[in-house]
Amino acid sequence: MPLTKQDVAGIADYARIALTDAELDEMTAYLNDAIALLDPILEYELDDVEPTFHPIGELVNVVRDDVVAAGLPLEEALANASSRRGRSFRVPAILVDGGVA
Amino acid sequence: MRRLAEVLRDWEAVIGLEVHTELTTLETKMFCGCRLSHDDEPNANVCPVCLGMPGALPVPNERAIESIVMAGIATNCEIMRRSMFYRKHYFYPDMAKNFQTTQGPVAFCMHGRLDLEVSGIGAQERPDGTTERTADGSYVTPIRILRIHMEEDAAKMVHVGGGEGRIGGASESLVDYNRCGAPLIELVTEPDLRTPEEARLFMERLRQTFLTLGISDCSLEHGSMRCDGNVSLRRRGETELGTKTEMKNINSLKSLHDALEYEICRQAEVLEGGGRVYQETRHWEPSRRRTVAMRMKETADDYRMYPDPDLAPFDLSDEFVERCRARVPELPDAKRDRYVGSFGLRRADAAQIAGDPAVAALFEGAVAASRGGVAPTVANVVVNLLPGHVLSAAQVSGLSNLLADDAITFAQARELLEIVEGTDADPERVVDERGMRQSTDVGALETIVDEVLGRCADQVRQYRDGNRKVVGFLVGQCMKASKGTGNPKLFNQLLSQKLGE
Amino acid sequence: MMARLDTLPARQVAAGIAAGDFTAVEVARASLDAIAARDGQVQAFLQVSEELALAAATRIDAARAAGEPLPPLAGVPVAFKDNMNLLGTRTTCASRMLESYESAYTATCVQRMLDAGVIPLGKLNMDEFAFGSTTDSSAFHPTNNPWDTRRVPGGSSGGSAAAVAAGEVTVALGSDTGGSIRQPASLCGVVGMKPTYGVVSRYGVVAFGSSLDQVGPFGRRVEDVALAMSALVAGGRDRLDSTSQDCEQDYLAHLDDPIEGRAVGIIPALLEAEGLAPEVRAAMQEAIGKLAASGARIVEVDLPNMANSIAAYYALAPCEAFSNLARFDGVRYGYQEPGCTALSEQLSLSRAHGFGVEAKRRQMLGAYLLSSGVYDKYYLAAQKVRTLITADYQRAFAQVDAILMPSSPTVAWEHGSISDPAALYLSDIYTISSNIAGNCGISVPVCLGAQSGLPIGAQLQGRAFADATLLTFARALERACEMEGAVAPACAGKGGEL
Ligand SMILES: [Mg+2]
Ligand SMILES: [Zn+2]
Repeated sequence: MPLTKQDVAGIADYARIALTDAELDEMTAYLNDAIALLDPILEYELDDVEPTFHPIGELVNVVRDDVVAAGLPLEEALANASSRRGRSFRVPAILVDGGVA
Repeated sequence: MRRLAEVLRDWEAVIGLEVHTELTTLETKMFCGCRLSHDDEPNANVCPVCLGMPGALPVPNERAIESIVMAGIATNCEIMRRSMFYRKHYFYPDMAKNFQTTQGPVAFCMHGRLDLEVSGIGAQERPDGTTERTADGSYVTPIRILRIHMEEDAAKMVHVGGGEGRIGGASESLVDYNRCGAPLIELVTEPDLRTPEEARLFMERLRQTFLTLGISDCSLEHGSMRCDGNVSLRRRGETELGTKTEMKNINSLKSLHDALEYEICRQAEVLEGGGRVYQETRHWEPSRRRTVAMRMKETADDYRMYPDPDLAPFDLSDEFVERCRARVPELPDAKRDRYVGSFGLRRADAAQIAGDPAVAALFEGAVAASRGGVAPTVANVVVNLLPGHVLSAAQVSGLSNLLADDAITFAQARELLEIVEGTDADPERVVDERGMRQSTDVGALETIVDEVLGRCADQVRQYRDGNRKVVGFLVGQCMKASKGTGNPKLFNQLLSQKLGE
Repeated sequence: MMARLDTLPARQVAAGIAAGDFTAVEVARASLDAIAARDGQVQAFLQVSEELALAAATRIDAARAAGEPLPPLAGVPVAFKDNMNLLGTRTTCASRMLESYESAYTATCVQRMLDAGVIPLGKLNMDEFAFGSTTDSSAFHPTNNPWDTRRVPGGSSGGSAAAVAAGEVTVALGSDTGGSIRQPASLCGVVGMKPTYGVVSRYGVVAFGSSLDQVGPFGRRVEDVALAMSALVAGGRDRLDSTSQDCEQDYLAHLDDPIEGRAVGIIPALLEAEGLAPEVRAAMQEAIGKLAASGARIVEVDLPNMANSIAAYYALAPCEAFSNLARFDGVRYGYQEPGCTALSEQLSLSRAHGFGVEAKRRQMLGAYLLSSGVYDKYYLAAQKVRTLITADYQRAFAQVDAILMPSSPTVAWEHGSISDPAALYLSDIYTISSNIAGNCGISVPVCLGAQSGLPIGAQLQGRAFADATLLTFARALERACEMEGAVAPACAGKGGEL
């Protein structure tokens, strides 16, 4: 069952990507084409196959010691932020009219 | 609303807890080398990794893994030999990457259990007869632990422009990433708890256990230990679960108890009035002693969890687990039993001392410095005199020896405590210097008793007529006559002896 | 002594500085001069870091004057794909989202090149966030193929391939998630290597597909690539990248080992595949013949699941991309939509207007594929197909040391001539499977196309962590094909005199 425009609007909402109506149409067509490209995967019988999440063979238990390392000075940490207030990053209102903005 | 005791006669409360504990005793965050700190200026401890800068990658803190495995061992969990970190996605500025690195279906620790001992009036909250009880009504109930997983904490947000720092009405929010990426372990219980008291006790037990392990300062007040409780009701005898609500913002053991108590009573009222309980998150307001609904979720969150490709899986070896096991110190229950068994402590005192590793260390230090048989007195000092005071083990030992010898009274012990606290003074020396030591020379005391009995014929008559209370007055006279140096206990004995002749 | 920078192997640049034939500052200026003369046409660069370059060159000259030993790549002009952080430069990923993003730190791969003494000339164009195979999706400008500026250089590391092919720099670093080093190397007639996953640190390289990405070098000769590889692994595993491994070694040590009697695999079905341009097929036959003439045994092998690697890749890579790009929300850095009074509006509009269309497409696809109920069907299944593809390679590499195949089914095409994204996705058919399996691959120019006159690269793939062996075979192929050191004719000789 192909994705509908409404499905795609829901995904866009979740992914925090505002799409115009025309973009939603284009995106819906794209997604359905792209998903069709994945069909060969569905042909496989994979019950007995282990997934390979990490293409690194035997690599396990990679850790570091609990030792403090120098971080970023405040001004460098904030240097790329468009909005700041004092020592903090600033975001606009999270709740608007009692609901999630 | 009806009271809890009545409600729980008709309804069974089904309670589960989710407990987040920050590993505050580590030096650094979970996936980067930033210093872990609670009271630094905003964004003082940040780096490309915990700010989610483009290109930065996580590397796990080995001691954090050791800590969670120790937590799992201490709560009788199965330590899973193979597990992975996952990414849990949600867009919110408190997570710098807009995903949280956490664990998937398999956590480091699974399927644990703690046996809760419920006694005193708290035990009366549970009316059902399904638990075996001792004569005083106390009972033991097993609480299963679903899992303990490792994850990273979120940043702190300060909401500006609304009332009391609340998010609603705020015009903007400020984000401080100092806490972002702090190592956090999340313990999830099975819904095995049945009363607010059990929930409170479980949380206390967990706190004592983690404190003993030394993996966190476990401060509910400062948020290094955070607890969410969920509760649903069902009619007694039913097996199907009701709709649950989740309680947030619980920052003390008392709040946990009271929030659950309120919520149980509220749900009962709703259900008895023919209403329906909505699955929602509720906020505990301690000042108004009530829970209020936060926003309701229209749809279940879809976090798009998948294994984090940046982090190699964990394959915990026997050696690693055994090394962690060796680092687990004697836990509160074992300690309590040892105190009862080898020192003859009262179970309640033993449990109280064993529950706090600092107190237990002080107790054991003082016992070691005292002569044999003084342990119960040391326990008495530690449990009843010490709270709020700081004494060294040697001072506690000195104080206990004096009490055990009847060289001072309990009231004098309090006085003495004030004197030696904060100094390195030896209590026995202070007692001697100040002439506080009470005489236990029976011959000398007998003389005083005879003198007092001689001049208090009235009181002696009253005693012989059956007014035994008059002894108190006579002890007072003896104390006065001895200028406070006589031992009141001995005076009492001598008086009773002579009056009975 | 008069020399042209674009004719010098990296080794000779370093040797010339050590011998006092020229100074590092002169090399830096020659490279800047070549960029000034050539990049107007090629447009490989997004930023030229003149100050950093001259400062690095001055340090080398001072070290030489002080009699200190010079590092192995002392004075070699290098530039970096613009998804690699370098302090003192912006790291834009060719996206509006990061147009003004100043690197907060330096990527490990970049730092190791700097530690080896290279002169950093700047940051190179790419497809936005590395999504693409043309470099046309750069938010700033396309890059042109130095062999024919009407054509694409390939992508996503198109700027890196083009800068090396144009002779602007000696070596460039790129990143390869599904062929993004090997394909542009092939289209631009240079050598481009994707090392085994885990050989080169990914720390500081803006992530696309974390389990697929690997950084690697471009050069005009295999030896330069081997030198760069040695620099990239110097110091062993990077403690800042949990997936990096200790591969410290000198990749020159076995570079000229003979390949007599050693086996090279071919997959006949791949060489007959539909969509493979006849001149590319012919070039492959020729390359096979030359390897055989060099004494290699040609052995037929099979990678039966390779045909489905594109499907597996497009079920995996967008998921990792969605996840990795979630952090770009305009709060801590990056484009922030002005004038928003509500957070969710600010996030959604910043992401809508900061990202280009392909970046949005990939993230949308990933967000869909990871959603509950869909995850098992595609993502999890693709991770299992990945197991099968990896097993195919293991079987093949039990028989052979390297497998030869095309890097790209065609030579460079004209800008805008392929517009359907799905058609572009299919062009990665030869490269994608080694990202899925994590093994190494390299594209080596073998000839100019009989019809087009444009460069054609042959791809060699090797077993995981046998990167040195792969380089040995690449060097043998290079020796046999006589394309070593070629600079795109339209650029050769323009500026860059020493
Ligand atoms: Mg959690
Ligand atoms: Zn950090």
